[in-house]
Amino acid sequence: MREWLPRLVARVPAPVHAKLLVAFLAIVLLLVAVGAAGLQVLSGVNRRAEELGQLQRKIAAYRQLQHDTTAQLYSVASALLVPDERTLEGTLRQLNQFGYDLDRLQFVAKDEVELLVRVRKDYERFIRVVGQVVELIRGGRGAEGRELQLRETGPLADRLERLTNQLVNKAEADMVASIEAGHQAYVTSRWVVIGFAVGSIALALALGYAISWSLVGPVQQMEARLQQITAGDFSQRVDVPNRDELGTLAVNLNHMSEELGRLYRQLEAASKHKSQFLANMSHELRTPLNAILGYTELILDGIYGEPPEKIREVLKRLEMSGRHLLSLINAVLDLSKIEAGQLTLSLTAYSMKDVVQTVLAGVESLAAEKQLALKTSLPPDLPPGKGDERQITQVLLNLVGNAIKFTETGEVRVDVASGDGAFTVSVADTGPGIAPADQERIFQEFQQADGPGARKKGGTGLGLAIAKRIIEMHGGRIWLESKPGEGSTFRFTLPVRVERQVEAT
Amino acid sequence: MSKRILVIEDQEDNRRIVRDLLASAGYEMIEAATGEEGVAQAEATTPDLILMDIDLPGMNGYEATRRVKSNPALRRIPIIAVTSYALSGDDAKAYEAGCDAYVTKPFSPRALLAKIREYLKD
Repeated sequence: MREWLPRLVARVPAPVHAKLLVAFLAIVLLLVAVGAAGLQVLSGVNRRAEELGQLQRKIAAYRQLQHDTTAQLYSVASALLVPDERTLEGTLRQLNQFGYDLDRLQFVAKDEVELLVRVRKDYERFIRVVGQVVELIRGGRGAEGRELQLRETGPLADRLERLTNQLVNKAEADMVASIEAGHQAYVTSRWVVIGFAVGSIALALALGYAISWSLVGPVQQMEARLQQITAGDFSQRVDVPNRDELGTLAVNLNHMSEELGRLYRQLEAASKHKSQFLANMSHELRTPLNAILGYTELILDGIYGEPPEKIREVLKRLEMSGRHLLSLINAVLDLSKIEAGQLTLSLTAYSMKDVVQTVLAGVESLAAEKQLALKTSLPPDLPPGKGDERQITQVLLNLVGNAIKFTETGEVRVDVASGDGAFTVSVADTGPGIAPADQERIFQEFQQADGPGARKKGGTGLGLAIAKRIIEMHGGRIWLESKPGEGSTFRFTLPVRVERQVEAT
Repeated sequence: MSKRILVIEDQEDNRRIVRDLLASAGYEMIEAATGEEGVAQAEATTPDLILMDIDLPGMNGYEATRRVKSNPALRRIPIIAVTSYALSGDDAKAYEAGCDAYVTKPFSPRALLAKIREYLKD
């Protein structure tokens, strides 16, 4: 029931409103049927009550007939004993009453008609004989009247009594049968009404359950499917049995999911191709650049004879430009490798203290050139780390290099702290600072903070984008705190022990 | 007697730069343009040092390094790999294949010469 009924309803190829209409109509029809069954029972009860009343009246009439017959006999007997006119009048009056009682027996049932015909015949004869007896008495021929009374009236009265008794018995038997039948009918109709009511309730519940679940089930399935699609899983299909609007919706949802999945794969492939193209191109660009830089250095080193000072100067500029071009190409390659998912961190044990000291040693001469103070604070109890030491060193080198590049006076500070299973490294400078509008942007590719002097500094605009990717691949976070005119502080957190590379997004 | 260095490199300009550099430093140079040729030259001439480009057509530098290092007669020859610039992984692969050191391309001739001298000290 839990499964197949909603499925069955779902499979009905009709629109939802038609299904609802049919369900409501079915319930309404059942209510009408319950009402009709109730009315039927009521009218049956009423009919039986009328029947019983009729039977009772019939029995009463029969009894009256018996009583009349007996009374008539007594009345005639009295008239024979006391043959005065008053008694005779009474007897004749009773005869009329007798006829009246008989006329009341109009409602007799078919099988009683024969009996009643005989009753009427005997009655007519009885009236005639009684009339003759009365006439004889009036005529003063009492002895003849008595003889007729004994011979004719007595046996007639006996027969009438017998016949009416039969009628009474029959009517009584009918009454008992009717009461019995009434009881039976009551029991039957009670079960019919209860059955209809229980059936209606069961059907209404079943229909409600089936229809609501045939609607809610697919909606829930599609809701779950949409969540999967939102999460980027286009591989699943929603499978609902519905052949109504919800079925169409599910088909469209599947279609949309497939289409989205196809576009997503295309986009992914295009992005991979782009990254691959950039990687290939930068590799190809470096081959001739290698020759340019190599020859330049050989000439400058006097391998081909000592160059004149003027040429040496130009060659130095050539070499600088070549190295800048090289750093640009390298940065593009780095980024495209990260984006193509080709960068794999090599996770090994390292010392954060060594990383910081390596970086500081590398930039010492740069800071000294600009007369900037290079300060650091390293807690003595830094835990041993696990991560890609080379990449972490590159990130820190990039941050410190930038800080030195953009700071004219003052200091550059590198601070390291550890806690909650993560290192927090900050690089603070006393440079020009970065406007809030640029603070998000500088972590994007090819973006540098605008403002005086920014472009003059050179650089690829890729360093921070790469740093961000590398930190994120370690499961860390990098951000910037800065106010224009008050210097900048770049900060990143890095899990102390990185056991697994976080996939670049 | 001057030391002999086998340079396995497919780019003519790179070979020429190394050739001019080594000539000025007084080393003798043997050249090979492919991995297969390089392995054959190593077996034929037993050089004092091999400069191995990794990105070679056909047999790559890792494979050529493995071939040379698997030959008992050549095992002691130091091999300096010239790897393409990459974020990471190439150096580890070079060491894994049996290289003794590596320089990344584009290399500075000056730095390359220093590296060569380090391995030819004695």
